[in-house]
Amino acid sequence: MRRKVVIFIILWVFFILQTTVFQLQTVTGVSPNLLLFLTVSLAFMQGKKEGLVVGFLSGLLIDLFYSRTLGFHALIYLLIGYGTGYFCHVFFDEDVKMPIILVAVTDFIYSMYIYVFGFLLRGRLEFGIYLTQIILPEIIYTVLITLIFYRLLFKINHALMDRQKEERQSLWIRD
Amino acid sequence: MRRTRKFFNDLLKSRHFLIVLIIICLTLILATFTRENSQGPLYTIAGTVITPFQNGVNRVGDALMNWASGFKNVQKLNTENEELRAKIEELTAQNNQLIQAQAELKRLEDLYELDQEYPEYTKVAASVISKDPGNWYSTFVINKGKADGLAVDMNVLAGSGLIGIITETGENWSTVRTIIDDASSISGMVASTSDTCVVSGNLSMMNSGKIEFSELKDRDEVVTEGTAIVTSNISTKYLTGLLIGYVAEVAEDSNHLTKSGTLIPAADFKNIREVLVIKELKQTKEMPN
Repeated sequence: MRRKVVIFIILWVFFILQTTVFQLQTVTGVSPNLLLFLTVSLAFMQGKKEGLVVGFLSGLLIDLFYSRTLGFHALIYLLIGYGTGYFCHVFFDEDVKMPIILVAVTDFIYSMYIYVFGFLLRGRLEFGIYLTQIILPEIIYTVLITLIFYRLLFKINHALMDRQKEERQSLWIRD
Repeated sequence: MRRTRKFFNDLLKSRHFLIVLIIICLTLILATFTRENSQGPLYTIAGTVITPFQNGVNRVGDALMNWASGFKNVQKLNTENEELRAKIEELTAQNNQLIQAQAELKRLEDLYELDQEYPEYTKVAASVISKDPGNWYSTFVINKGKADGLAVDMNVLAGSGLIGIITETGENWSTVRTIIDDASSISGMVASTSDTCVVSGNLSMMNSGKIEFSELKDRDEVVTEGTAIVTSNISTKYLTGLLIGYVAEVAEDSNHLTKSGTLIPAADFKNIREVLVIKELKQTKEMPN
């Protein structure tokens, strides 16, 4: 329960940071995708279900405020969260290399989703421009964010997990 | 054995969960795909819960910025600079209105009719509290909403130029879609001749800070670099005569009938902090009885 509350608060803070501080300088500039980083990291550390829920909530927040179609972002975020969950417990989750690869790949998938449904279907064919001006810079920024903040998030998550595990174990012992 | 069963149990559970959430998303997408502007209760709740935080973060940011430029002298210069800038913008807007008024006057004089003054629109100032989290669209949220009399489709200015249109309103917030957004398309006209064109945002040109225009019927061959383009009188959502920008490049289309090119928007999109919302909606056709 405590973990859920903390994760929710982190999600909240990330959304607010994403829409304020990280967008302060310019409307036209490219900024990192904090919510994707959060979704992918938690899914990698905790598994499919967590990725699913965090992804769904992140996407829904974006949809509520900035999308003309509700559920558009929620769908891709929850799929990314769920997909990343498959890598949980397959690799060591304290190593930062795997999350970086996952973030880069999922950010690319996410960008392609937005491009295909939001742009290609309206006849915007200049994929090269979008790739170099938006997709690649966004991936680089998001990977940088992962490099810097993944460890921190991992530690927070670990601390919360430990407490939870202790609680659970003590319950079992009592049983 | 037990462990494998538990594993499948978990898998099934999360898979069910996945399917339920996907169905929810698809239903939402289908339900809201064609909506023009809906004002669901969810928006109101989200708006009331999140905007105060964004507002707070921005206020802290502003405070920090002010503190950083805390030397009184610098601050004084800053304010003076801002005042002068505001003055310039005001004068540009005025000048623009005058040019139009003049063109209008000339036309009407030709028709031996009375000249018509451009109405002074009532405006309300609002500040930008947050921006689109992604990099694909260009929308932002301002700190005024229904409570201040704002409504969907009201035009938003920054300084002397048009910046966008309100697409969503809550009690104390509104979402503005900028004219540089890829999905934005406006009917514009040349201020001096009233020849119309279509001005549309294009993401691939955002970095250069320009927007596109096309289908310009330049009958008198007057459009050159620097020609002012304003919102046209046939636009359904934008009020007439708001300055969009100045022509940067213009070229004849291959059909030799129309021209297209790029505009430099009059509003400064790099630093949008304060905007003005015109509290007046375009009058659309009403059937006379």
